[in-house]
Amino acid sequence: MVSTIQQQEEITIGFKSKKFLVWLFVVSSTIMFGGWTSYYLVFMASKGKGHGLVLPQYFTYSTIVLIASSVFLFLAARSLKQGNRSRQRQFLWITFILGVAFGVLQYLGWDSLVQTRANLVNNNAAISMIYVVSGFHLLHIVGGLGFIINSIAGSYKQVSQEVAEFKQDIASIFWHFIDILWIYLYVFLLLNS
Amino acid sequence: MSTISLHDTHHDDHGHGHHHETFLTKYVFSQDHKMIAKQFLITGIIMAVIAMILSILFRLQLAWPDKTFPLLETFLGKWAEGGRIKPDFFLALVTIHGTIMVFFVLTAGLSGTFSNLLIPLQLGARDMASPFMNMLSYWFFLVACIIMMASFFTQTGPASGGWTIYPPLSAVPKAMPGSQIGMTLWLISMVIFVASSLMGSLNYVATILNMRTKGMDLWKMPLTIWAIFLTAVLGILSFPVLVAGVVLLIFDRSFGTSFYLSDLVFGTEILPNEGGSPILWQHLFWFLGHPEVYIVIMPALGISSEIISVNSRKPIFGYHAMVYSLIGITVLSFIVWGHHMFVTGMNPLLGGVFMITTLIIAVPSAVKTFNYLATLWRGNIRFTPAMLFAIGLVSFFISGGLTGIFLGNASLDINLHDTYFVVAHFHLVMGSAAIFGMLAGVYHWFPKMFGRMMNPKLAYLHFWLTFICAYLVFFPLHFLGLDGVPRRYYAFTEFEFMNKWLTVNVFVTWAAIVAGLAQIAFLFNFFYSIFRGKKATQNPWGANTLEWTTPVERLHGNWPGEIPTVYRWPYDYSKPGAAEDFIPQTVPFSETMSSNLPHDFEGNEEAERIQKEWEAANKPVQE
Repeated sequence: MVSTIQQQEEITIGFKSKKFLVWLFVVSSTIMFGGWTSYYLVFMASKGKGHGLVLPQYFTYSTIVLIASSVFLFLAARSLKQGNRSRQRQFLWITFILGVAFGVLQYLGWDSLVQTRANLVNNNAAISMIYVVSGFHLLHIVGGLGFIINSIAGSYKQVSQEVAEFKQDIASIFWHFIDILWIYLYVFLLLNS
Repeated sequence: MSTISLHDTHHDDHGHGHHHETFLTKYVFSQDHKMIAKQFLITGIIMAVIAMILSILFRLQLAWPDKTFPLLETFLGKWAEGGRIKPDFFLALVTIHGTIMVFFVLTAGLSGTFSNLLIPLQLGARDMASPFMNMLSYWFFLVACIIMMASFFTQTGPASGGWTIYPPLSAVPKAMPGSQIGMTLWLISMVIFVASSLMGSLNYVATILNMRTKGMDLWKMPLTIWAIFLTAVLGILSFPVLVAGVVLLIFDRSFGTSFYLSDLVFGTEILPNEGGSPILWQHLFWFLGHPEVYIVIMPALGISSEIISVNSRKPIFGYHAMVYSLIGITVLSFIVWGHHMFVTGMNPLLGGVFMITTLIIAVPSAVKTFNYLATLWRGNIRFTPAMLFAIGLVSFFISGGLTGIFLGNASLDINLHDTYFVVAHFHLVMGSAAIFGMLAGVYHWFPKMFGRMMNPKLAYLHFWLTFICAYLVFFPLHFLGLDGVPRRYYAFTEFEFMNKWLTVNVFVTWAAIVAGLAQIAFLFNFFYSIFRGKKATQNPWGANTLEWTTPVERLHGNWPGEIPTVYRWPYDYSKPGAAEDFIPQTVPFSETMSSNLPHDFEGNEEAERIQKEWEAANKPVQE
């Protein structure tokens, strides 16, 4: 009896600290991208040039897709709070599909960069940097899709409301973060051409 | 009192409980923080021994550059053809010695061991926030160690461009033998290591902020936890930048990009890379690299705060000042990296800024030193082995820290840069000091880890030999540096002005060999005591912190029954009026009426009133 209460307490403490872990990961990941963008700034300041490209249209499309996915993820979280699991599932699937679409659009973006001979292997490190930051951002998207699948799986398995909200929460924290991260990177690359 | 046992591990054969443990889950893929701490410690010790042997090898070369040691060829084969260590291998030895010591021993071995052991035990938690990630953290660390060691078994040998792996040496595989597969393995190993370190740090911070027991507010945490906490924060904020830098380096090496490379001519061949800058690597590297040296020293400082207070039987002097100076060091460590780059053609104005921030670090460091000495002052000192090592740390921190003021000064550093003066400085202030902090921690918490005591006589032998020899090794190196002798040079006989230092090198090498032999006393003591040491009592040092309220047999979940509540700060030693010279954190003020002081109640008027009533009833006799 006492032990079940204690275990319950420990589970909620566990959720709280695991959510906190995701936040900390967000911080350290931000710093990694901060490292690359500061490389870019110092590079630009010392060489007097940026990537000097008109970024492909695909990146604009992918940005719109990613923002839309964040909106649907928000709707999923709201549906879960209202207790509507099947609606939550629908929205999560839409988010997932938009996430995959984002990946495809990024690939098309790289492809069109390559066609204009702005390759990864380049004597202008600023152009190489576009590939590095967008590539590593895409790796984060893959991780985020994992969190979303985890939340969808929880929804199908009919886990308790607490567990479902926990899974939804960590997916939300991470996905909104990579959304904002991409907007930051994209605006950064647009401004510092 | 509740007697239910949540995490009972004593059911061996009847595996009906959810905690049935096999050899594999208990000793190998353990998720218990205490076992993971031991895994980190033992791996760290093994790596330290390897790094020490490497250092003895290159010390042999430095002392007797023209002598042959046929034995070396027996062991090292083509690396020491004819009994002399080859120049390429000498550079590899220096590089791998530095890498192992900085990352594997003093980051993972020190932080990994004591964070894992002490965070749950001193804060009153059953385990870490994520025990699974904690386990992964250890296994990533071990894999990183193995990959690094594997580079010794390659045709071209391990990385040899120095532990800071500056490009272009590290970025151009054909630059030298060590830049080939050895460098690749170094980078892979380091990426895995950073992943391990980050998983650990994230876990430590999440646990400290969320899983403290009832009553354990931040200002009741022992200084060990404060130090470990700030170290983990440093790790989270600085290691990602190293990853960013290493990723670009990998792109340069393996895909042909030019982040760090430009205008390179190799023999008669012009390399295609164009437009990058090796200085940018230094920025990214030292943005991690400087916080890294505080990642190394801060846990050691925290450990010695605790040990010095316990063994002086006195409250730590200036608890809040200790915490604020740790915070000060943490913040400042991010804005001083440029002092490693004074000779890169940096704008003198910028150099001046970095110089000022660097010199300001002397303030919190001096506060800490002062507080250690003030804690010792008129204490009832018990010279336990742990205490000796903690005092040793203070000694190294002072003598190594002073030369930091020389090197932080740009006008002096430009002369001393890359000389043996730098080697002497950091081997004292972060090498020896951190190692002594780590050893102090091992001697102090050995009873907690293994339930047995280490032999004090062997420990004293270990301490005195190591302490004296460390000074004999590193102190003379200052004078080489002042004379302008550069680091990492293979043979002192090749340069006229360095010849006169050969005899000093012989002396230093002998001191290093004796120091190395002294570690046998430790290794024997450590491993023998695990199995045969004297059985420990529950609280052998009479300490206040929570870990000593757990039973001697270590069980999963740490406390049978409820986790104790904390009522007071951890440094109530020799409190006037108390029955004993220590009052554990779990003792409420209502049980210590004769020793309570007004400020103990933190403004709680009800408690003050009760105390005054009690004093009115009991005290007048003494007047």
